[in-house]
Amino acid sequence: MTLINVWQNILNGLAVGSVYAIFAVGYTLIFSILRIINFAHGAVFTVSAYFTYLLTGSAINTNGTLHKLFTDGFGAPALPIKLPFVIALLVGGLLAGLVGMLLDRIAFRPLRQRGADPLLTLVSSLGVAVAMVNLIQYFFGAEIYSYPANPFGNIPAAVNFGTADTPVPVRTIQVIIFFVAIVIVIFLTWLINSTKLGKALRAVSEDAVTASLLGINTDRIIMFTFFLSAFLGGISGTLVGVSVGVAGPYFGITYGLKGLAVIVLGGLGDIPGAIIGGIVLGLAEAFVPPQFVAFKEAVAFLILFLVLVIRPQGILGRAAVVKV
Amino acid sequence: MKRPVIVLVALSLFIAAALSACGGAPAPTASSVQQAAPTVAAAVQQAAPTVAAVAPTVAAAAKAAAAPTTAAAPTAVAASGAAPKALSGDPIKIGVAVAQTSNTALLGQEQVIGAQIAEEFFNQRGGINGRPIKLVLQDTAGDEAGAINAFQQLINNDKVVGIIGPTLSQQAFAADPIADKAGVPVIGPSNTAKGIPQIGDYVSRVSAPVAVVAPNAVKAAIKDNPGVKNVAVAYAQNDAFSKSETGTFQQTVTDTLKLNLATVQTFQTTDTDFTTQVTNILNAKPDLVIISGLAADGGNLVKQLRELGYKGPIVGGNGLNTANIFPVCKDKCDGIYIAQAYSPELSTPMNDAFKAAFKAKQQGKDPGQFPAQVFAGVQVFVEALTALDKAGKLQTTDLAKLRSDLNKQALSGKYDTPLGPISFTPEGEVNQEQYYVAQIKMNSDGQTGKFVYVK
Repeated sequence: MTLINVWQNILNGLAVGSVYAIFAVGYTLIFSILRIINFAHGAVFTVSAYFTYLLTGSAINTNGTLHKLFTDGFGAPALPIKLPFVIALLVGGLLAGLVGMLLDRIAFRPLRQRGADPLLTLVSSLGVAVAMVNLIQYFFGAEIYSYPANPFGNIPAAVNFGTADTPVPVRTIQVIIFFVAIVIVIFLTWLINSTKLGKALRAVSEDAVTASLLGINTDRIIMFTFFLSAFLGGISGTLVGVSVGVAGPYFGITYGLKGLAVIVLGGLGDIPGAIIGGIVLGLAEAFVPPQFVAFKEAVAFLILFLVLVIRPQGILGRAAVVKV
Repeated sequence: MKRPVIVLVALSLFIAAALSACGGAPAPTASSVQQAAPTVAAAVQQAAPTVAAVAPTVAAAAKAAAAPTTAAAPTAVAASGAAPKALSGDPIKIGVAVAQTSNTALLGQEQVIGAQIAEEFFNQRGGINGRPIKLVLQDTAGDEAGAINAFQQLINNDKVVGIIGPTLSQQAFAADPIADKAGVPVIGPSNTAKGIPQIGDYVSRVSAPVAVVAPNAVKAAIKDNPGVKNVAVAYAQNDAFSKSETGTFQQTVTDTLKLNLATVQTFQTTDTDFTTQVTNILNAKPDLVIISGLAADGGNLVKQLRELGYKGPIVGGNGLNTANIFPVCKDKCDGIYIAQAYSPELSTPMNDAFKAAFKAKQQGKDPGQFPAQVFAGVQVFVEALTALDKAGKLQTTDLAKLRSDLNKQALSGKYDTPLGPISFTPEGEVNQEQYYVAQIKMNSDGQTGKFVYVK
């Protein structure tokens, strides 16, 4: 393997890993507060991509129920608004945030209030995920949708990190996703460590009962966490949709397992850990030899297994202190 | 405070959307309703191992239909604007088992449209000598277990005379043996992997095998680009069909055309990021890339190849033979060579009629191969049943015999379908007279495009 190949593989790994990372941040946020995995995150990821699609005024195909609804209501199979892509991206994220809050109300809070086993919450979130995916298919159909061409203006399709003679190209959208991932982590680290809200978040995460005794509205904090997780997941979902197309109702779900691997790898509930975990997984996949490339997931999960054996708390996680 | 208000708004929005959707949704077809209410009796019947013994519905149906034979119904359906004929008698049930959910629904939903068009079309033309046909849809989802369930439902509960399905070759290998054992004729509408008709006597297909269709696209690409020496091949290794197809492609490259196979890259149909594969392909410096996969993965691979700098010709397999790849690779789809078993540009009365029916239902879109092949499958059953009826063999109370007669009749006939004229080998392999190679031509909007027939 030449040096140029190594460089290309590193960049490829960073590009792929940052997608895993921005997905896993959503898991991590919920996990850090509630100690549960929100399996519906993949569905939120997907639904936001569809929201953005709608907000850009794009048409729904005949296989989706919305096609008929919109045609009857607005005279065309699309919403009568046409937001610029970046605005649609943000509004789509906000709508996804609302879906996240709704999710808490429907699937998590009732169980939480009854002190249900975390495993039940897990199953409940899985149920909501399946229902959401099927609702998406019902409303939008199973087809692949894509955003209007050049959503970010006329930027080149790839950025060359090599020379003109030996190009080391990386797709521009992947560079964007990488930086968005970094911005999200910096923002969350600031929010959690340097704001009053962050203090409340940490308090609830430490001990919800004590926090509520101290006057923190824990339900509201948890709902905010769901909003934030879904909002960031929403932005990420749309960006991934720009990268690979909104490939049907299942497209977010496929990141679910990888996302789980990433947060375990990085350290459960650790936000910088989600980024580190994502990038480690991405790099591991990028360096899989060409003849085994279809088995890159197996390689990635083998690494996960090894990390767990050597360092059960993950790369950045702290060893759990047994509470007596 | 704000919180309850926001939640209330969100909730009401959701409920409003759900309710209006229920109101505005197209009424579910009779068949889907029917499958929603399995009776205990049906369940008991399903448990009984011999299917042949229990056939009350069809028996009754056959008796009821013994009387009416309206005017001599056409066997070869000419595509004139015939007025709808009055139909009477209990409908003859034909099963359609395709993927209506899962990520294979992308293909399955096109097949459902093909089936619905066929049902309306043939019933409008008098059904089976005046007796209507009814397609019973069962969802196979995207996996083998789903296909097996759907087949068992159709065979034991719905008591269909024959089945069209499943969507994927992978599923056919699992589900077809069940139908074969039960003596129910199966027509594969989109199973093009090697070995499908060989599953059993009752298994045939209208979808020509990849070994016959695929090489045409490579030859067309080489004809346009005579300088090609190095070829890179990529395929989805978790898909039986893509694996079978890439074998054909690789053989064409090395054995038939004597070119250098520079690299073989593999991926999964669920992959969306192909950075690693594209890097490997670019390192091999190919003059031609051949891809076997499905729409979302194949389209993304094409897109990422082009974005990262590949400029040579691309040949796509049958999985890319759908307009569904346009939104994935957009303007980057331009120029892909694809061999086809169906072309909307074929001008025969039958294809013109099919195209018109499809366009009316799909807002002027041209039909692709998937709906056309399902339509052809229904046509084979309808014309075979019509022939059986003429020979007096439809008025039987013995469902097992009817199924077996139908199988024999279907395999012996000649059919003028939207795919062009087809017939079957005794084994059940389709003999298709005409194949097509198309090149994708994207419109300037970068979102829509069409398959342009390469002469």
